Amino acid sequence: MKILKINAGLLTNFEVLDLLRSRGASKDPTRAMSLLKLSEFKVYDYLVESAACDQTRESINDFIANFKEYQLPKAELINIINNRPSSAVELAPIIEALEQRNWNDDTLDEMAELIVQVLPPRPDQKNMDEEGTAEDNGAQATDENNTAQVAAEDNKQVSDGDNGEEEMDDS
Amino acid sequence: MFFLTEIEHRLRLPPKLLDRPLEDAIKGELESIFLDKVIAKTGLCVSMYDIKSIDGGFVLPVEGAPTYTVVFRMVMFRPYVGEIIAAKLKNSNKKGLQLSLGFFDDIYIPAFALPDPSHIEPHDDDPKQVKWVWTYNDLELSYDDENVIRFQVTSVDYPPIPLEQEEGSKPFAPMVVTGLLNSDGLGPISWWV
Repeated sequence: MKILKINAGLLTNFEVLDLLRSRGASKDPTRAMSLLKLSEFKVYDYLVESAACDQTRESINDFIANFKEYQLPKAELINIINNRPSSAVELAPIIEALEQRNWNDDTLDEMAELIVQVLPPRPDQKNMDEEGTAEDNGAQATDENNTAQVAAEDNKQVSDGDNGEEEMDDS
Repeated sequence: MFFLTEIEHRLRLPPKLLDRPLEDAIKGELESIFLDKVIAKTGLCVSMYDIKSIDGGFVLPVEGAPTYTVVFRMVMFRPYVGEIIAAKLKNSNKKGLQLSLGFFDDIYIPAFALPDPSHIEPHDDDPKQVKWVWTYNDLELSYDDENVIRFQVTSVDYPPIPLEQEEGSKPFAPMVVTGLLNSDGLGPISWWV
């Protein structure tokens, strides 16, 4: 064995998760059917509980475009993507030599706000949001009923449309 | 946290695999050799990324199988110093905490790297374990098994393989990550939000 290039590229957690998903990793309990090894499933289980679970290529590209102005090194950007800090105090340990950067006091807060806007929430943050908006859930439930009705109506229309076509065919 | 590493490896392909497509057969062999293993100073092999080239296929004298030289890329888990990683609590004793990522368990937070002032309390259920508590103003903050704990990597070591191991000692860990928790924003996420 010979190591040709020890560092042939840095991956975000999302990219690793995407790779494992493309090989057939899922929450499906019938794992014996998959091509993945047990150790790969352990990595998948870790990543699917992390901030990477709902990220997409678009959201990460958006994030990188939005963060160009802060001129962070690549390792710090990736660390932010992997952890998705949602407040200044969570962000602070990721940024190295914070005192030496010529930032105002509000820069970290601005960055944290931007992160919350661009990157989807972590699974644990999602739960917090749900607790906070328990009342909204009730409203959503009624909304769902409405959409169900709408969908039913749509079906009717579609079936009407089908009939129409059949008539056309007959003629 | 995850890197790609390009590796060249010579492997002998057992004849029983020769009825399968060459790339699949080689990939399977490489996976059984490398996956879930630590390469010193390179990290833990997580998954095969791709195969870049397959050369050779000669049957060497006195061997009953072809030998190939394969260049491939592997996804490696290799934390770097200064990185922030989310982990879960696995063990705690007088020396400090042990954290786990599920696929990697050798992460240690020594007692001096816990937030100051921390002290030990007896664990409720397990007499072998202890509970570390951080006193912040008047708050008593402890680590529990459920919450995600964020730590900062301070060093990654690859200890040499011991020639002899004492009976009853811990299994040998080829990669040991040491971290700290005594900085703002680290520790269980619920402490800060």
